[in-house]
Amino acid sequence: MSKKYDVIVIGAGNGGLVAAAKCAHAGKKTLLVERHNLPGGSATSFVRGRFEFEASLHELCGIGPFTEGGRELKKIFDELGVSEKIEWTALDEAFRMITINDEKNVDYTLPTTRKAFIDRVEEYSPGSREKCEKLFDIIEEANAGLDYLGTIQNFSTDIFKKIFGTYSDFINSAGYTVNEVFDALDLPQAARDCFGGYWLYLGTPLDEESFMHYFTMFKSYIIDGPVIPKTRSHGISTAILERFEELGGEAWMNTAVKKIIVKNGIARGVELDSGEIIECDCVISNASPYNMYTKLIDSADIPKYQLKKLNSVKLAPKGFSMFLGLDKSAEELGIDNHSYFIYDTTDTARQSQLTRSRAANNMQAAVCLNRGVPGCSPEGTCILYITSLFTGDDAWNDITEENYVSAKREFADRAIANFEKATGTRIRDSIEEIEIATPVTYARYLDAPNGTIYGFENTGSYGIVQRVATDALGKKIGRLYYGGGYGTKSLGFSPSYTTGYEAAVAALKNLEKEAAKQ
Amino acid sequence: MKIKTKPYKNGVKDFTNAVMSLPSRFTDVAKAPDVKPASPTEFNVNKIACSLHPKTQKLVIEKIEDLSEGFKCYTLKAENGKAAYFRAGQYLAFQIKAGSSFCTRAYSIASSPKDALNGIYKIAVKRVDDGFVSGFIIDNWKEGDTVVSYAPEGTFVYEPLRDAKTVIGIAGGSGITPFLSLAKAIDERTENFNLTLLYGARTVKDLAFKDELDRIAEANGNFKVVYVLSEGRQKGFEHGFIVAELIKKYAPSSGDYSIFACGPEAMYAFLGKEVEALGLRRKFVRFEMQGVSKSTPKKAGLTDETCKLTVIDRGNKCEIEARCDETVLTALEKAGIAVPVRCRSGECGFCRSKLLSGEVYIDDGTDYRRLADIQFGYIHPCCTFPKGDITIRIN
Repeated sequence: MSKKYDVIVIGAGNGGLVAAAKCAHAGKKTLLVERHNLPGGSATSFVRGRFEFEASLHELCGIGPFTEGGRELKKIFDELGVSEKIEWTALDEAFRMITINDEKNVDYTLPTTRKAFIDRVEEYSPGSREKCEKLFDIIEEANAGLDYLGTIQNFSTDIFKKIFGTYSDFINSAGYTVNEVFDALDLPQAARDCFGGYWLYLGTPLDEESFMHYFTMFKSYIIDGPVIPKTRSHGISTAILERFEELGGEAWMNTAVKKIIVKNGIARGVELDSGEIIECDCVISNASPYNMYTKLIDSADIPKYQLKKLNSVKLAPKGFSMFLGLDKSAEELGIDNHSYFIYDTTDTARQSQLTRSRAANNMQAAVCLNRGVPGCSPEGTCILYITSLFTGDDAWNDITEENYVSAKREFADRAIANFEKATGTRIRDSIEEIEIATPVTYARYLDAPNGTIYGFENTGSYGIVQRVATDALGKKIGRLYYGGGYGTKSLGFSPSYTTGYEAAVAALKNLEKEAAKQ
Repeated sequence: MKIKTKPYKNGVKDFTNAVMSLPSRFTDVAKAPDVKPASPTEFNVNKIACSLHPKTQKLVIEKIEDLSEGFKCYTLKAENGKAAYFRAGQYLAFQIKAGSSFCTRAYSIASSPKDALNGIYKIAVKRVDDGFVSGFIIDNWKEGDTVVSYAPEGTFVYEPLRDAKTVIGIAGGSGITPFLSLAKAIDERTENFNLTLLYGARTVKDLAFKDELDRIAEANGNFKVVYVLSEGRQKGFEHGFIVAELIKKYAPSSGDYSIFACGPEAMYAFLGKEVEALGLRRKFVRFEMQGVSKSTPKKAGLTDETCKLTVIDRGNKCEIEARCDETVLTALEKAGIAVPVRCRSGECGFCRSKLLSGEVYIDDGTDYRRLADIQFGYIHPCCTFPKGDITIRIN
């Protein structure tokens, strides 16, 4: 037992980085261990030839609007002293949504901000303005209600009055699916399609997706405005790590944890792959509950309730991404937009069925980075990402070592063809660099079970409201906290950062309590 | 419990739906088994990820054959019978303990991907004049020894979505090995493209693997080999150097082809200008990386003066000696400090380290760092030269 730390953070993904920075900021002796040679987890980038590719981030929410000093995530970055190390670009355009195999294909381009969004929806769905205004009112009030609920310490009659009065839209919408609320408003189909365009980012069809979950995200994109970092998400990861070290934190790269050491139901330290044991007062894990309970903690030390919880949820969709460095500019190629959602159909339930197999999956989110960050690649070139999701657990079960490369290439070929079909562009002759990531890649780099990139599925009894209300319940291992994408806020950049922050706050509170006892 | 009411119709009941409708969650948890679920390693994609990318592989040297003067071929057999599958053109980086040094060296795989399924890799090592490790391997590796490599890596692979259907391969010296693998993969139908290989050597006896290449060319119409001798004249061979005119002679007249080149530094210096003269788009020209140029220190005005290299490794500090005309990685290797390294050419980024203080030189040609890494002072030690005393954090 060479050293002792107040806090050990396992994993320098988004949650782990913010948790570590928060603990160091609070003056705790903090060790951050990461098994890779660089921080970030998914929030990273890689270089091929003359291109630096973003590994995962399309647009980040929780940062804007800058005019109002930013939202939750920006405040965390401000508090920790990270903000000044990152340069952001704000996006005016939200997305362009195209269907390619529907009875009547659509092609909608939607801007950010409430007013511009509604004006555009009115163009695509004449006469829907009033309903759109009503929907935005509900979205705003429901979000405000959720925020308010998060601030409540003890319930009282006054508080209930306020929830039912001021935030009645929260009460009237939070327990329902997106489509149920659309139905209640009798929203026309074209308007539904516009509002629902983002569903791929969460991966749950809108007849199952919780209204609150979807529209928390929608609000943060459309009303608050999405941003992207100028130096890819690796710029965010590196900035937080830099700040963590400035605050006196210690970060060890290329250092894998073999085990979380638990004594009498309390986390007391970690054992590294090297066999070295390091003690601490509390552990914050950015390794998912899945990996913690299947790999990092001895069976005897795991409360049965935690295993039951784990067995009661499903894994979220699995990821596929293609990274293209093209040797023509976006202008030359006719790639006019930053963010594309390409679907077979606007029927999200049917689309979700189609995405269960490689042979039927045409859904994609494509991003031309140059349309968000001009100059992100050399003059006369551009960067294009194409991402798809696979629902169900079987889409890549037939893969072997031998057929893997051809299988991923075949799907990449299909995705390129779909992009070309949807946008009327031709990109395949201009590919100078290409990398293809599949569930195998996410399994490799993230140790993600079955290659999921979205953590646990957000459907059935495990929607966002249920998560918030029940995740903290049941017997847990003491002084072990989870911060990351498999948590209460579900997976995504912003939720992972904030979950990490909340894990640190909980850990710090406990440390304080323990100190007061002594 | 599913939604039983309709939104905006039921007042208080909606609150039940919104916040209190949790019994279904509790029921689901109560019903779930209290055993560990499948470990991530039990899913097919996780299994494939592990078998394609093991952390390290123990390989037994099964056979050593002389190819030509100071050039040997090593047949390696995976100790556990399973050699990670790879894409023809990729390399293996070996961990090599030579005296007090701990080095990593990358060698292209000369055998085919199919051979790996039988647990076999072949590599070829050529003694380099002032090369420390190549000489060590040739003098010390014996049949029956066990050596350790990382998983296959590298981007010198054929990619039909990017490359032309016909590739003009240009090989010199030990740069023949990835092409041998590619030729075999074409022959075994693992790869599907046309490869015309221009293989340069001084004399016929310097043409390693000639019989094997001839055999594949004979058997498979998609692979052709042209030998280019720089010394002496012989029937059936091209003569001189691999110049633009020669490339054109064997390339499709449509101009629709890719160039793949692998060979020693001297070849690249010459070939660079010739290939440029062909006016191909950048996407059709791929040179396998091969480390920092020997001329870099001179170009940068770096002398052989020594400096102090302070190394922070998981909170532990040590001081070693470095030379301004050698890379930071070389200093680390000489001091026996194990660093995660693969390509040694600046490209793969495995050795990424933080420069905490001091000045360094990084040549533009090998600077593959990410933007944020440049901003926050990270370096790839394999292609970074210290200009004076420096401090770095390696882990």
